[in-house]
Amino acid sequence: MVASIVIVGGGIAGVSTAAALRSGGYDGDLTLVDAGEFPYDRPPLSKDYLAGKQELAALALQPAEWYDDQEIRLANRTTVAALRPAEAGVELSDGTVLPADRVVLATGAHAARPPIPGATSDRVHVLRTAEDADGLRKALLPGARLLVVGGGLIGAEAASTALGLGCEVTLVDPLTPPLAAAVGEETATWLHDLHAERGISVLTAGVDAFEETAGGIAARLNSEHAPRDFDAVLLGVGMRAETTLAEAAGLEVTGGIVVDAGQTTSNPAVLAVGDPTRRRVDGVLQRPAEHWEAAQHDGTRAAATILGTPQPEPTAAWFWTDRHGLHVEGVGRMADAGHTVVRGTPGDGPFSVFAIDDGRVVGAVAVDDTKAVRASRRMIDGRLAVDLDDLADSGTDLRKLLRAAKG
Amino acid sequence: MSEGIRVASLDDVEEGEGIAISKEVTGTEDDIAILRDEAGFCWALNDTCTHETASLADGWVEDGDVECPLHASKFNLKTGEVDGLPATQDTVAHRVEVRDGEIYLFPNEKPV
Repeated sequence: MVASIVIVGGGIAGVSTAAALRSGGYDGDLTLVDAGEFPYDRPPLSKDYLAGKQELAALALQPAEWYDDQEIRLANRTTVAALRPAEAGVELSDGTVLPADRVVLATGAHAARPPIPGATSDRVHVLRTAEDADGLRKALLPGARLLVVGGGLIGAEAASTALGLGCEVTLVDPLTPPLAAAVGEETATWLHDLHAERGISVLTAGVDAFEETAGGIAARLNSEHAPRDFDAVLLGVGMRAETTLAEAAGLEVTGGIVVDAGQTTSNPAVLAVGDPTRRRVDGVLQRPAEHWEAAQHDGTRAAATILGTPQPEPTAAWFWTDRHGLHVEGVGRMADAGHTVVRGTPGDGPFSVFAIDDGRVVGAVAVDDTKAVRASRRMIDGRLAVDLDDLADSGTDLRKLLRAAKG
Repeated sequence: MSEGIRVASLDDVEEGEGIAISKEVTGTEDDIAILRDEAGFCWALNDTCTHETASLADGWVEDGDVECPLHASKFNLKTGEVDGLPATQDTVAHRVEVRDGEIYLFPNEKPV
């Protein structure tokens, strides 16, 4: 019987695991170890928090009393030194050993810092933690020249926020358009073009080197000879899974902690959830999900595995992003679809694009039209066939279409 | 006990949908979302999501919850309790009655 569980890391994956264990009936010892003051939500760090519109306290994933109510011991400002699965324990950095019949690694990831010469300068920022956001925000003064490297989710969101703060923003990405795999080529192009429309200088380039100058930082782009001068740089070039504890404990790690469909690692007493993980399905390692809801669902699955209860029904992957005042959501897969169906007109109010395979919706991306994505998710999960002309007609109520398809 | 405020006809709110009633009509601190579930019953919650600014009247009503249109936080239609993150703060549920095809709202009265 499992009588003690230690969750390592207080992001959305760790906190969701704790919540799911308690709601699933686990009444044993439960400790959540987190390096910060309290577990907080990360999506606002590139948006309202970076803009200075939100305090960190407002980002708390759960109110302080929740941990007491749920009888979860929050070991904050604490890190784990080592896992000791053979002794059913976890050693904290102060030497304390907590009993742990099961350990759940929710260790997250780091913002990647590629080995570009000069990238270790204080003027070169990354954005992953509240401390990162605080440091970047200090540099985002009106008129400051900011270079954003990477036009994916974090880069685009931070560029949009910086523009709103009055910065002079340049965005570079070697790929045009970024995010094509996530939202499909046509929407990716539309979204990327929006940056220039709103006043961001957009370049298709990579960075060869950074050099500190008298009052700023120069960036050498691979597309031009003369370096460009900036006051600050943000690298938004992806994440690197935090796997130190897993590796030291001898768990299988291949670009992430390898887990099965129930989040169990190569050691049956250790589970892992969220950004540090890669799932192996039918012998094939999947791409890391790297999204908020995926991490939340990992927690639900880990809890079900520990409790021996049925796993939740799988559902199509979902994410959101906000830029230039627009709310964008995506669900399912947009890449490699047979063809697409567009509902509405890009640039003229809400619109959505559906990826169709074999007559069925397999993915959708929507700008300011979340209902289209919620409906699509149910079509995808239920493998429901809908009339594609109705789908494309913005006069059709998608809820009704969904209900008709359910029959 | 009051007779409630007539806020809409039942025909104005489709099943699985919601409408927002202005706080000028309801006299409450927030607008109130009238949400109609798949079985046709009406429920009322404060309209603004407790997480970030979004109207729950535009949310997705299913399985006893309304899902916020912005970040998919879930609130119980009957109690206003959070059923899904990122919201952590419960919202306020109000009593609703349907009489002769008209929806009557009882602001700040608990649902029965």
